[in-house]
Amino acid sequence: MKLELRGITKRFGALVANNNISLTVESGEIHALLGENGAGKSTLMNVLYGLYIAEEGEILLDDVVQKFAGPGDAMNAGIGMVHQHFMLVPVFTVAENVVLGHEQTTFGGRLDLSAARAKVREISDRFGFDIDPDALIEDLPVGVQQRVEIIKALSQDAKVLVFDEPTAVLTPQETDELMTIMRQLAASGTSIVFITHKLREVRAVADRITVIRLGTVVGEASPTATNAELASLMVGRAVELTVHKNAPELRGTALAVKNLSVIDSRNQIVVNNVSFDVQAGEVLAIAGVQGNGQTELTEALLGLQQHVTGSIELDGKPLRGYSVRHILDSGVGFVPEDRTEDGLIADFSIAENLMLDRSSGAPFVKAGNLQLGFRAKFAAEKIHEFDIRSQGSEMEAGRLSGGNQQKVVLARELSRDLRLFVAAQPTRGLDVGSIEFVHTRIIETRDSGIPVIVVSTELDEVVALADRIAVMYRGEIVGIVPGNTPRATLGLMMVGEHAPATEAAL
Amino acid sequence: MFGTVAMLAACAQAPATTDDTNSAAASDFLPCMVSDAGGFDDKSFNQLGFEGLSEAADALSVKPITVESTSETDYQSNVQNLVVQGCSLIVTVGFNLAAATVESALANPEVNFAIIDNDADLNFDGKVDAPNIKPIIFDTAPAAFMAGYAAAGYSKTGVVGTYGGMQFPTVTIFMDGFADGVAYYNEQNGTDVKSLGWDVASQTGSFTGGFAAGVESLANAQGLIDQNADVLLPVGGPIFLSAIEAIKSSGKDIAMVGVDADLYETDATNKSLFLTSILKGIKVSVSDVVTGAGEDSFDATPYVGTLDNDGVGIASFHDFESKVPSTLSDELDAIKAGIIDGSITVESPSSPKQ
Amino acid sequence: MSDKTNTPPVGPASKDGSERWNQTLRDITGGSAMISILAVFVALVVGAILIAFTNEGVQETAGYFFSRPTDLLQAVWDAVAGAYSALFQGAIYNFRADNFLTAIRPLTETLTFATPLIAAGLGVGLAFRVGMFNIGGRGQMLIAAGAAGWVAFAVELPAGIHLIVAILAGLLGGAIWGGIVGLLKARTGAHEVIVTIMLNFVALYLIQFLLRTPGALQAPGSNNPKTPAMLPTAVFPDLFGPRYNLHAGFLTVIAATIFVWWLLDRSNLGFQFRAVGQNPNAARVAGINVKNVYMYAMAISGALVGLAGVNQVLGTLTSGFSSGIDAGIGFDAITVALLGRSRPWGIFAAGILFGAFKAGGFAMQAAEGVPIDIVVVVQALIVLFIAAPPLVRAMFHLPTPGTTRKPRIHSVKVRTSNEVVAK
Repeated sequence: MKLELRGITKRFGALVANNNISLTVESGEIHALLGENGAGKSTLMNVLYGLYIAEEGEILLDDVVQKFAGPGDAMNAGIGMVHQHFMLVPVFTVAENVVLGHEQTTFGGRLDLSAARAKVREISDRFGFDIDPDALIEDLPVGVQQRVEIIKALSQDAKVLVFDEPTAVLTPQETDELMTIMRQLAASGTSIVFITHKLREVRAVADRITVIRLGTVVGEASPTATNAELASLMVGRAVELTVHKNAPELRGTALAVKNLSVIDSRNQIVVNNVSFDVQAGEVLAIAGVQGNGQTELTEALLGLQQHVTGSIELDGKPLRGYSVRHILDSGVGFVPEDRTEDGLIADFSIAENLMLDRSSGAPFVKAGNLQLGFRAKFAAEKIHEFDIRSQGSEMEAGRLSGGNQQKVVLARELSRDLRLFVAAQPTRGLDVGSIEFVHTRIIETRDSGIPVIVVSTELDEVVALADRIAVMYRGEIVGIVPGNTPRATLGLMMVGEHAPATEAAL
Repeated sequence: MFGTVAMLAACAQAPATTDDTNSAAASDFLPCMVSDAGGFDDKSFNQLGFEGLSEAADALSVKPITVESTSETDYQSNVQNLVVQGCSLIVTVGFNLAAATVESALANPEVNFAIIDNDADLNFDGKVDAPNIKPIIFDTAPAAFMAGYAAAGYSKTGVVGTYGGMQFPTVTIFMDGFADGVAYYNEQNGTDVKSLGWDVASQTGSFTGGFAAGVESLANAQGLIDQNADVLLPVGGPIFLSAIEAIKSSGKDIAMVGVDADLYETDATNKSLFLTSILKGIKVSVSDVVTGAGEDSFDATPYVGTLDNDGVGIASFHDFESKVPSTLSDELDAIKAGIIDGSITVESPSSPKQ
Repeated sequence: MSDKTNTPPVGPASKDGSERWNQTLRDITGGSAMISILAVFVALVVGAILIAFTNEGVQETAGYFFSRPTDLLQAVWDAVAGAYSALFQGAIYNFRADNFLTAIRPLTETLTFATPLIAAGLGVGLAFRVGMFNIGGRGQMLIAAGAAGWVAFAVELPAGIHLIVAILAGLLGGAIWGGIVGLLKARTGAHEVIVTIMLNFVALYLIQFLLRTPGALQAPGSNNPKTPAMLPTAVFPDLFGPRYNLHAGFLTVIAATIFVWWLLDRSNLGFQFRAVGQNPNAARVAGINVKNVYMYAMAISGALVGLAGVNQVLGTLTSGFSSGIDAGIGFDAITVALLGRSRPWGIFAAGILFGAFKAGGFAMQAAEGVPIDIVVVVQALIVLFIAAPPLVRAMFHLPTPGTTRKPRIHSVKVRTSNEVVAK
């Protein structure tokens, strides 16, 4: 089915989220919609899906103008959506989720699930999914849950499928599998709109690329365009995609972790006997697929985990068993991987967030009193220094964009006297411009002689930043390899295979 | 519900306009009443006092003002507001209002006060603390004594029992008299009828912890029944309703003694259960005091209900007439006479001190 | 969200549950002042309807509505106007009084009744700001009243010192009763709602027992479960002489309001309180000892609620008290805190409004025969409307905050994803 958007304009008050956007997706085509966070991609798709009504413009399917009053109309017309955050009920089975909202009942109002099961099996077979229709959603891995979403859309005869940032939650392997599925779908005649801000994925799978910036179409590109070309289209200026860094200036071992194990609240060993050193002036990247113990490892370093054995020494002084307060005061800077949950208080102002982990003494507190004058001055300085785009230091942090929120966290942590800097997933969910900023700051920190640990599930990031790379798999460090180790080797290590020549000294 | 009724009735004729300001009440006498936190629907002294007031007010053709308290900090404000409204007589209910009553009486000597179930003697000097307060109190112990004697005389199992709502003097006075009456029966007849639920000497016993029918009351009654008691005396407003439930579910032949009013009359559905009732003339005494004040004959001498002035007493056996020993009525008459002439003394730590 | 479910519980039972709970608290306390004002207004309108419906004159005239409708309208007007003007005259200024000094008495009554409401409201509001629901006001007030009362009638000390010692005893009593809750929450993860409710019963029966025990709280020479009168040396002095009930306890409440404002807005402890209240996870990562914050916050909350109990026994009812001395203020305080959006001066204003309802309610009942329950209903309606901001917004077509750019579908989306991913 051919999808055409003509001159779509959508306003929220004074803000123009979509400005006269036109777009055509041919039958069987994968059309990528590329743009930074907040560029207007999701708004456009919500217009397409009937969630918003556009002020101007029209939607055509096979050259027929459509009027969508809600998602129901869009679905009936053959548009399906795979949401970034899945719309599935965790305690229902696959079959139940697939028929949810379109339940067929037999006599007496009983749910007819056998038809649903058959449908799930039929679609699974067509795409080689191997999904048990009676499995509970909550028992399935994230990647499989996404397939359930796809089945759900296809079971309603979707001819146009919209994927909204589908790879954000996937492992590299799952991402590759998703690409294959998308190609299969396209080959069977489904039109696909693929929303993303990840350049590599776009180039790997898209037939055509439309780039959106600030609500406007700024250009079309072919998959043969280089990353740099696409990035500068997206951001509106030339973007540095590679991090420029000099060889590290090593200044001796600062952090020594020996035989560290962490047992979580469910009595599972989540970090198993891990040992590594970090030298002052180097970046040690911890790579691995999400959920292999990296989160718990960083939390153990900060004193956030309860059951930790082994030893952690920073500059010769033990850290294990001390309170978070003590560890922060020992000079550990920490960027938590879940920024909105652990890094910031959304309802607090930028100024308040900038003093969040310094609320127990000078210079922000004197004799129990907050030093508001100092705080305001400090906030103003940091907003300027870290280029935090805001309406002033009293603006609530929750109203900032993701990139600016991360800048607040970085500004707070990097403004203390650090002896160690731990950044977990520092660029997750950030746009290209912000990623560039964060990476530059991390390298600057390294170059000032501070040992840095970066935890990342993005191989691009690991390769860009690391002087050495530790790969974690099932709570253990599979190996520590030099920063220039080929991706293929790293990929193998991430699924548990030991590296050919591990423990390569740097 | 009212809305529906109104809609149905909304077609009625409008009454002829009359200038209804003739204020039939010739006098400007204004009787008022403040409840304690129990409210006027407590099936106990607030309600009986309210009924007494309403009766007198009807007789005098005046419209009383009545206000309910919801907590103990309300008392003073409620009394104060009634003074502001120009009440001539303010009746307050219960010991909880004593302090507010005394304070207001001293500050407003031109207003008359009456207080139910309290002697308005906060400094314990044996005298009422203000000259314009009339305490309305009851020497309930002798009446309860007679009921205890009757219960002991009726009991076939040789066990009777009592329990109260909360341990207030106005409650325990019933229990004192009842237990003493049982003891007196044993003494006179050489029997060993046991009285459960209250120990006069140590002043301890069973209480439900509140004045509401409910599981606590049910459990207390059930406990007494399990110990073979066949006469129950629950003291404290509506808690007797749960006792009735316990009796009915036990399937045994158990009698009840009512308190305050003759429950044979007021609770006709369960009348077959009442051996007798201990009468406390709150309604009639309040009515008398209000009527007296309305006729300009208020005097502050305490009203003490006794067997002698029929302010307290016990009800007739009604349906139980044939089931009690034939001599019992005569014996009770003799006891009553003995108490009145002083040859029998019935005292409770909670008896009025006048 | 990712894999954060591995984090050990910080104190609140389950992260998912406590998060939703926190969100609800934030929604309620974060509403705008306009919502509070409109809630009061709507509640008064509904109250007016109830007054009209329960009025005898209205019922009578409704009987012949179609033959002379003006009678009904007149009766409705009389009932409502009479009731609300009685409320006003009982709460603020009595026009019918002979002189100004008498006429202004209702206002002082309002402030007298507002005193404990503000104190307890500050306590409950403080707990709200730390993300906790303190329903234990009744218990904390009773223990504080018992402690302060006992010092006030049983201990002999010089005037002035006696009052201060009695106040401190009460605050300490409340702080301990509240602190127990914080301790249990911090150490065992027990939910404060359940613990506070249970401690209400413990306190009630403990005080009832002490009131029946000679030598404890019972007045000597009496059989009634009631304490003796407070000694004059320990009683709050009247602020404007014996004509008025308003006592110096009102000054302690003003001081408490300033203290809470300083604590929350200017002190580092309050900063940590608010951080924990808004996002306990981020607070923990930032090195704030969340468990200690729970304990300190509940102890201070209990002390503030205790101040309400102290004011009851040393100011409002000095002739001795029984187990009903809390007068439901522990629960009214929740309403006051909600109406005041947990901001100190908001609570101060809300407390005075509720004090006015209380004072005016007596006059409404005495003068117009309006059942006292109407006032309670109006207060309950205020809570209802405050707890349901979308309802009030819908009534007055107010915009939903924060949605000028992002329509509601976004928040729904995020919540669903949490459920799915953080199984």
